[in-house]
Amino acid sequence: MMETTNPNVFAGYFPTWCPGCGDFGIWASIKGALAKLGYSPEEMAVVFGIGCSGNMNDFLWVDSFHALHGRAVPNAVGIKIANHKLPVLAIAGDGDCYGEGGNHLIHACRGNHDITILVHDNRVYGLTTGQVAPTGLKGFKAKSTPQGVIEVPVNPVALAITQGATYVAQGFAGDINHLTDLIVEGVKHKGLSLVNVFQPCVTFNHVTTYAWYRERLYKLTVQNHDPKDMKKALDKSLELDAHIPIGLIYKSERPTYTDCLPQISKETLVDAGLGFTKDDSSAMLQKFVPEFL
Amino acid sequence: MINLTVKIGGEAGFGIMTTGLFLGKIATRSGYHAFEYTEYPSLIRGSHNVVGVRISDEKTYSQEEKVDVLLCLNADTYKRHISEMKQGGMVVYDRDKTDINSIKDENRADLVYVHVPFAKILQEGAFPTVMLNNIAMGALMYLIGADFGILKNLISENFIKKGEEVINKNVNASQMGYDKARESDTEGYKVKIPKKESISSRMYLSGNEAVGLGTLAAGCKFYVAYPMTPASALLHYLAAKAEKSGMVVKHAEDEISVINMALGASWAGVRSMVGTSGGGFALMVESVSLAGITETPIVIAMVQRPGPATGMPTWTEQGDLLFIVHAGHGEFPKIVLSPGDVGEAYQLTTEAFNLADKYQTPVFILSDKYLQEGKQSIDRKEIEEYKFDINRGKLLTAEKLEVLPKGGYKRYLLTEDGISPRAIPGLPNSLQQANSYEHIEDGHTTEDAQERIKQVDKRNRKIRTYLSADFKMPQLFGPKDAELTIVSWGSMKGPVLQAMQDCGNKFNYLHFTHLWPLDKEKVSQVLKSLRKTLLVENNSTAQLGQLLQMVTGVELDNKLLKYSGRPVFPEEILARIKELGIG
Repeated sequence: MMETTNPNVFAGYFPTWCPGCGDFGIWASIKGALAKLGYSPEEMAVVFGIGCSGNMNDFLWVDSFHALHGRAVPNAVGIKIANHKLPVLAIAGDGDCYGEGGNHLIHACRGNHDITILVHDNRVYGLTTGQVAPTGLKGFKAKSTPQGVIEVPVNPVALAITQGATYVAQGFAGDINHLTDLIVEGVKHKGLSLVNVFQPCVTFNHVTTYAWYRERLYKLTVQNHDPKDMKKALDKSLELDAHIPIGLIYKSERPTYTDCLPQISKETLVDAGLGFTKDDSSAMLQKFVPEFL
Repeated sequence: MINLTVKIGGEAGFGIMTTGLFLGKIATRSGYHAFEYTEYPSLIRGSHNVVGVRISDEKTYSQEEKVDVLLCLNADTYKRHISEMKQGGMVVYDRDKTDINSIKDENRADLVYVHVPFAKILQEGAFPTVMLNNIAMGALMYLIGADFGILKNLISENFIKKGEEVINKNVNASQMGYDKARESDTEGYKVKIPKKESISSRMYLSGNEAVGLGTLAAGCKFYVAYPMTPASALLHYLAAKAEKSGMVVKHAEDEISVINMALGASWAGVRSMVGTSGGGFALMVESVSLAGITETPIVIAMVQRPGPATGMPTWTEQGDLLFIVHAGHGEFPKIVLSPGDVGEAYQLTTEAFNLADKYQTPVFILSDKYLQEGKQSIDRKEIEEYKFDINRGKLLTAEKLEVLPKGGYKRYLLTEDGISPRAIPGLPNSLQQANSYEHIEDGHTTEDAQERIKQVDKRNRKIRTYLSADFKMPQLFGPKDAELTIVSWGSMKGPVLQAMQDCGNKFNYLHFTHLWPLDKEKVSQVLKSLRKTLLVENNSTAQLGQLLQMVTGVELDNKLLKYSGRPVFPEEILARIKELGIG
């Protein structure tokens, strides 16, 4: 890994997001984090979901896989198993990761796959013109729920903690430096990291605006929170209304999924596959044919 | 000529399936050919399981309808299968447990009844019920004159990890079965399978095992699946071999995750495969399209069972051909291969990985329960001496990437053959985006009309390249000038070739393995050259017939379609060709 890189090496096309969109702050934080980590655009893999967040594929120039809606997490898990030395980041939206792909998040947490999942949580579906997202506040009125959404919002932080994620943080698109550090630590963390990012949607969400968040958000510090204590972390995850915490909510240590695979302790799967020759093929037959004789 | 079919039936939980495996292996190791066909319900305990093994000194391509020896571990077996008995067949049963007299078929005085006191043996030896299978095998060894030593070896191999005590107990159980059968019937069955003097070395394995072996030999390093009959045995086989082979085998949370994990790994540079049946594949379909546009190689083992929906999970059908050929929204190339026997299952699996890497698109191994769970003896040369290369296609090595100008790599470069060089992420100069949106050459998203057309045309050119370089025409078996040609695909190869052998080559057989895409000109020419045709398919709508008609405009004359969940029997083919005035 190099020293800090120039964040501009990651810049692709200029974004097409609405002026004032929270995505700009997240974009800046990701570029800043990758620069701080000292990666070059080819020293990591990023999987993008589908939505306004996923559209970052064209604005962030890194080795990347632009997935289907909801499926960024299993793609990221597959990449990590194939090449566990490659840092892997999944960038998705709230509908993407907590709705369409909710099941994948649960199971990725269980596996403690060493990937970082960054979720743009703006509580609406921006790209499809503002329908309510799984994190939408109860009663939120949108085109698909004109009488107000009946369901209560999912709690991604509590979900991730209880399902086995080992790094769970919450950030705010309006605080770039703070979010940058959360991403840096999430990527450095060995295990599944979830960074849930509150992001105002200036076009479709007139409830949870920048002002709404600024009135409620407060930062977690070593003085006011112990992220290693799961019960305290769960308490923090339940603060959803008058006071909402941002920062590192939960962190623990557990072997990652690929740590538990002895067959890749010496070389990555991709290297084993690239080195596979006809001789290896014959060796496989020698090993596995006799049981059928 | 020796031709012997043994059927063993009993409740699930008696170890019926193991008796099939053992009998097939004993026959194979004794120098015979064997073909095993199982029927079992979608339950774990209590219901009826039956396994049939056909043993012959001629090649066994399939099961037959009629049974020589029926080994009844319960009364149900007798009731269900007595009508299948051959003239002079033998029924083996335990008269203490099964009152056959009250249900005996009065019209079948030709049958020989042999009493083996299975229950008493269990009791006397204090054996658990699960060892009933080895007692039955012992009895059978005596009755069909097979080599008891081979059974002993198989028991030792099977329980090697459980230790000497377990092995001895099982051997004793089968010895008691052997002795009691001898006491009961000193002559045994009229057809016997003594160990031959000279034995050609054959393997005995299932379609799932053959695909698994092909997967290992092809250098696939990542297999992902969610359990689903009849593809689960492939997952189990590979999972058991993972550590020893250096593969990673992942049981993921659902089939959508399965294929997306595999695509992630494949994009990262690893040969990856998924396996499922119709319902599970239905969940994967959106991601097949993702593989198509991102041009990510993937091999999909699709093992058919009767649908729709949950259908008949443990039975067989060829009902998904058109579904697979058309799977995935949008237009993109995909390749569908279908093996007809375990040898082809191995060979086409190795080919599927090469084609997936070469064309950077989904490749299917389309099979069914009948082939994948059935077992066959084959010449080991079909596997060990089958020659193939490990061809990763236009995969760029680090050295090749280095010489490209900095930032000059284009993932979706427009090329004459439609295939773009593929760089693995993480390598210097690999900078790229694999994009599920339509894209320009460097991977960035586009909605431009001209760029769209260029990329669609590029992807479609892969079909042209495949047809000229890798498409294989259907193979013709039997006499070239036969009056009748049977046309079929996949596992139906077995019953068709069996019928051909049994009737003395009165027809020939056109066997399709490379089902999609099809070369319109060449296939039309062959179909038009045929005299009388009979399409044989294990489905109700003649899906291959529809596909051939769609591509070539040729409609085949006659049809034999079966969709009861059971495979086609060679006898049914012989009856049908008789109706057509052949034989």
